[in-house]
Amino acid sequence: MNDLTNSFQKPFSDELRALGTDPVSAKAYYDEGWFALEREAVFKRTWLNVGHVCELPEPGSFIVRDLEFARASIIIARGKDGEIRAFHNVCTHRGTQLTQAKEGKAATFSCPYHRWPFGMDGKLLSAPDFERFYIADKSTCDLARVSVDTCAGLIFVNLDRNPKQGLKEFLGPMGEMISTLPIGRATTYDEYVYDIDANWKVTFDNFQENYHLRFVHRRTNGAPALDSKPNPFHYPVAYDVFGPHRMDTSPGGGIPEPEAKPLVGLLLGKLGEQVMADGLVGGPHDQDYFIFYPNLYVFGNPTMHFTHLVMPLSAGKSRGVFRFYWIGDDRTAQERMARELALSFAREIHVEDCETIASAQRGIESGAISHVHFQEQEVLCRHLLASVQAQVADYLKEQGQ
Amino acid sequence: MTAQASLPQGFAALEPFVAYWAAPSLAERDTRRLDSTEAQRLAFYDAAKSIAPPACDYLNAKAFAAYDEADHRLLDLMLGLIHVALAVEIERGEEHIHARGARLMPIVRERRSPRAMAPA
Repeated sequence: MNDLTNSFQKPFSDELRALGTDPVSAKAYYDEGWFALEREAVFKRTWLNVGHVCELPEPGSFIVRDLEFARASIIIARGKDGEIRAFHNVCTHRGTQLTQAKEGKAATFSCPYHRWPFGMDGKLLSAPDFERFYIADKSTCDLARVSVDTCAGLIFVNLDRNPKQGLKEFLGPMGEMISTLPIGRATTYDEYVYDIDANWKVTFDNFQENYHLRFVHRRTNGAPALDSKPNPFHYPVAYDVFGPHRMDTSPGGGIPEPEAKPLVGLLLGKLGEQVMADGLVGGPHDQDYFIFYPNLYVFGNPTMHFTHLVMPLSAGKSRGVFRFYWIGDDRTAQERMARELALSFAREIHVEDCETIASAQRGIESGAISHVHFQEQEVLCRHLLASVQAQVADYLKEQGQ
Repeated sequence: MTAQASLPQGFAALEPFVAYWAAPSLAERDTRRLDSTEAQRLAFYDAAKSIAPPACDYLNAKAFAAYDEADHRLLDLMLGLIHVALAVEIERGEEHIHARGARLMPIVRERRSPRAMAPA
């Protein structure tokens, strides 16, 4: 062992030790049958991040999110009373989708087919020729509600009509931790997305282990680009788990050698100054990476303050959504440049990430290996799979299987 | 704006780069980078790297509300330079590999620009 390896805090909490050290079956990363179980047992009954309250600034504001794994389209709207509610984007008459918009402001949603109008609280207001229907109680035709709640400004929905846990209970202590981050005060954001030919866990796992950093991130992160002595490989110094959620603390991300990167170095220096000036540095979670089950990362770092959501599309396809959250409009040229650099530099890194993920999927799908190996620094990948397996087992038990 | 001077006084050396590199949105600035040749990037980078600090000081000393079109254009050009600097200093000879991947990771949403905030 060298000094670098010694600087890595071995993640041997009792909970992590209980996960064992065996290779894990590769099947969960491509099998259609297993994915069908995950859709039902995990994604259709777990709180999922779909947006941020800054997208619903005033009464009547709404956003529409497609959840492909459930073939569902969900409207999230702020009502006249200021309450945020979520509904299926489905007219209760004959099922037509009420809107094709992705966002907007409205007083009502009116079905394009027969003009059934619904209030922003989901109530059916009236309907043409309603007396000709055979419906005794109009309120039975209100839009189908979806459970919704917020934490640190992030909006979560749960397709389970009666979630077993409220959002706060589900997120646990990590929910309280992220409530201190700038994201809770964000008013605007930038977003970039990618679709990738990989199972959602293969995609997600890439972002919860640091083992690959020095190999995949040769251009952006490999020494000497972002040399951060004494931890140039960004080994995590701590892992923690809270139920199905996990955390990783990884110091690193220094300023590049100025002689090699004069302009980027100068700009990164300005970015640091800006974040300092904004009073965002020095929080307890600046180096923490919050990983919420099943598919959300929140990066505590105030310099590159982003969330990353990985949505399953099919057994072998997923979609990543990166969002950079900011407090307030850009106020000065320096702030505008700092934010553009923060996002662009992070995207530089994320482009590298996506260069190998689909290749891993193709290899796994070939069936050539029955198992995959996780080393100690990949223990969070092991923890995700174990958490999914536990939820699927509970589901099967409930279904009497 | 005047046709003769599209940038504020003192930054005339950057005029040849305005037409291509001063794009008004983050997504467009990224696209310009990905669509550019190495020669285009190096020409802009070499011309702009020493002018960038005074240009940023100039832009920073003014409130957005006081910006005229030339100021907005210089800011867009400096924002474009961020993308070029990443290509030249980080990606170097492997920019084509980055470009291939970056096209699959489009910027789909961006916060409002100072132009959109400016009083009518």
